[in-house]
Amino acid sequence: MKVSVLQENLAHGLGIVSRAVAPRTTLPVLANVLVATDEGRLRLSATNLEIGITCWIGAKISDEGSTTVPARTFADLVGTLPDGQVDMDLVVQTQTLHVRSGTSNTDIKCIDAQEFPPMPVPDLRDGVVFNVSDLREMIKQVVFAASSDEARPVLTGVLLTVEDNLVTMAAADGFRLSVRKAELSQGSAQSMKAIIPARALNELARIAGDGDDTVTMSLPPGRGQVIFRTDDVELTSQLIEGSFPDFEQIIPVMHNTRTVVSSAAFLKACKQAEIFARDGSHIARLNITPGDELQPGSVEISAQSEETGSSEAVVEATIEGQPVLIAFNVRYLREVLDVVGTPNVALETTAAAAPGLIRPMGDDGFLHVIMPMHLGG
Amino acid sequence: MPIQILPDEVASQIAAGEVVERPASVVKELVENALDACADHITITVEGAGQKLIEVADNGQGIPANQLSIALARHATSKLTSAEDLFNIRTLGFRGEALASIASVSRFSITSRIREEEAGARLLVEGGQMEGGPVPVGAPAGTVVRVEDLFYNVPARRKFLKTDTTERSQIDDFVTRYALAYPQVRFLLVQEGRTALQTTGSGNRREVLASLFNADIARQMLEVNAVYEDFRVFGFISPVGLTRANRRGITLFINGRWVQDISLSTALIQGYHSMLMVGRYPLAALFIELPPNKVDVNVHPTKTEVRFTDRDELFKGVQSAVRRALLAHSPVPAMGGQLRWTPTPPQTFSRRDGWQPPEMAPDTQIEAASVMPEYKHQPVLPAGNVPLLRLIGQVGTAYLVAEGPDGLYLIDQHAAHERILFEKFMAEHKQSVASQTLLDPVTLELEPGASRLLEENLPLMGRLGFEIEVFGPNAFKVRSVPVLLSGVDPGAAVRVVIEDFEEDEAPLQDQIEAKIIARVCKRAAVKAGQVLSQEEQRTLLSDLETCQSPRTCPHGRPTMIHLSIDLLERQFGRTGAR
Repeated sequence: MKVSVLQENLAHGLGIVSRAVAPRTTLPVLANVLVATDEGRLRLSATNLEIGITCWIGAKISDEGSTTVPARTFADLVGTLPDGQVDMDLVVQTQTLHVRSGTSNTDIKCIDAQEFPPMPVPDLRDGVVFNVSDLREMIKQVVFAASSDEARPVLTGVLLTVEDNLVTMAAADGFRLSVRKAELSQGSAQSMKAIIPARALNELARIAGDGDDTVTMSLPPGRGQVIFRTDDVELTSQLIEGSFPDFEQIIPVMHNTRTVVSSAAFLKACKQAEIFARDGSHIARLNITPGDELQPGSVEISAQSEETGSSEAVVEATIEGQPVLIAFNVRYLREVLDVVGTPNVALETTAAAAPGLIRPMGDDGFLHVIMPMHLGG
Repeated sequence: MPIQILPDEVASQIAAGEVVERPASVVKELVENALDACADHITITVEGAGQKLIEVADNGQGIPANQLSIALARHATSKLTSAEDLFNIRTLGFRGEALASIASVSRFSITSRIREEEAGARLLVEGGQMEGGPVPVGAPAGTVVRVEDLFYNVPARRKFLKTDTTERSQIDDFVTRYALAYPQVRFLLVQEGRTALQTTGSGNRREVLASLFNADIARQMLEVNAVYEDFRVFGFISPVGLTRANRRGITLFINGRWVQDISLSTALIQGYHSMLMVGRYPLAALFIELPPNKVDVNVHPTKTEVRFTDRDELFKGVQSAVRRALLAHSPVPAMGGQLRWTPTPPQTFSRRDGWQPPEMAPDTQIEAASVMPEYKHQPVLPAGNVPLLRLIGQVGTAYLVAEGPDGLYLIDQHAAHERILFEKFMAEHKQSVASQTLLDPVTLELEPGASRLLEENLPLMGRLGFEIEVFGPNAFKVRSVPVLLSGVDPGAAVRVVIEDFEEDEAPLQDQIEAKIIARVCKRAAVKAGQVLSQEEQRTLLSDLETCQSPRTCPHGRPTMIHLSIDLLERQFGRTGAR
């Protein structure tokens, strides 16, 4: 293998794939990055067997070939090279990669590319096409609600379903549920259903490029994998097996009280309450009082802690229905208010022991369910 | 060679070989005689490591002049009259061999006066041959036995004696142990003109303990006191942090007799189950009192081996007495032990075998302070609280290393977190427990027995923050869990609690609540092997500082080990051993 690349392209590519490198592993080749010539470009790949990331960069190829280079060594080295051309030349017998740039000459010991796990080649013809910015927005609104508890693997993932031209993402951790629906610009011929690890989606949002690029998702049949592909980046992830809870039945269909507040004001009040709630059980009480002709309705958000003290904040609100006193984990409230993305938000409640539903005003695609807390005894 | 009856002289030397092995055995036999004679003042004088002179003087009953020569005959004793008595022995001696044996291998003199007589009598014996009859002499009440030139006529035995230092320390060890067993007797041991041991006879065992180990260790020793139907176990054992690499720190007495019984010391060590590191052994001075007919001391002439009629019962008793004392005192094992911990209140919960925490943790500190006034000015750490700790880092993804004002602390992250959760939970529990409703209720299917138990305890579970509904035969729906457990699989958390119900046949309400909480906290606490961020580590430490009894986990294991600056300095050889 003999190739020439630009230093900045190489550094960028290594930065993207490095997140999938498994630094501590019993399989040494997983700490390496696959470097291979691929149809006129240079392909960089890394995998930790759960997630695999591939990035293609432009290169001048003199001789085809491939090898795997220790990721850390390679990335650190490339970071110190000057701008401009980097020439790489592999001695196949010794698996040594000569890296030359400007006045520097280095040799890196590599591992044969044969040992690197094969990456699936997606069939992109029947894939589902997303707009990058839409996809990133969806991920942001859903992924935080996924659980980090490995004891229930299904909940560490995000359920993604595609039907006709409607795509739905849902995540839940046992106490809250986030559901985002969106329409696809190009309808999909087939319906799909998969549980994708939240971590893979976080990585996808990070590397997917920006603006109006598109991402193609495909589920190769029978492999238990999902592949997301942009022009020059590909992310492969294992799917989580199991059945996701039937979340539709968890979403409350009716409510007794509907409270509409400014998202920003509500978020600020929650952040304030959290300062005190975080020492105890993260419990924040919402006292929702409908208004009358003389004064507007209000939501009083209060929290207290044995050690630090207590806090109360009142937010003006438009309230339909009965007054209600309900308690929530304030961190859950804060996290959803961070991502609603509309100026106003509606909180729908039925009773103190029943779930609360949060919907952004003017965006039917998103909803979030939070289970209440209560004080026993 | 024709068979012939051995001459008396040879026979008694052979017998002496069994009883009188070394100078310390002479001391043992003579001191035991003094104790059997009800002396309350025993003076032992040793010269030449016992080979030149051993003199034991007591103020006991004494021997009448006319019986003095019988006393020296073999198989002559006042302690036993018939074979039946052999199974009901209350005295230390009974074989009637000691004086005869000792007299046969030394230049021996015995002087004795009974209280009622005005004059005493003296008898001289050399190599087992009496030098005339008893001659009247003036003497204090009691008996003085002088043994000079031990083994002068048995050069073979002499050759096998160890160095003088070893022989002297054997005598020291032996007298100290008897001083411990008989604290009401004043012992004075003078070796080579120097006082090696002096006790006051005040009856305070801890005082004697200080001469067996050292003052520092004596101060730390925990008191054991357990009375069973047939027997009683009392004495002192070392706290968990104080260990030796061998069993030699273990001293056992049965009915005032020092015995070496491997299985009894094993029972003692088993009492430390899971608290000692491999290859470490506790220190102990344990006294067992049981009816004389339950123990056979007539196994070996030196009587250091005994047999029991009811050994299992006895071993179980020793083990549980030790365990109980340990659980009642579970302070931080301070390595090097330069600091005084006030014992924490008992943290034990009722065990399956029906142990109850001792009603009162014997306040060892008060007693210790009165014995060793020089320690009064030692800094006493406030009960329970840990000093302000500065985090250094995490070791082996299981322990935190922190610096306090008085040295290094190693903290077990799991045990510490368990303690923190436990106290948070208990504090919250006193008011009302915040619980978090589940998005999707968890259905639990249980075996009939477990489900009956859970059903009976639903109100209790409710108070702890579990909202559980009966959902059909042997099925339940968990609707909400305590907030503290929201990171745990709810089904698993409930199961853990049910296991506890199953273990206790008739749990007491207030205890079972604490126990369940402890159990649940164990489940929720961070595990060993979990990497903690700096922030998490710091929070753990500061949370631990606010705990009321931060030194043990709710199950009684220590949360931290303390290495004092002093210990570090000594380990690095910066200061001499003090």
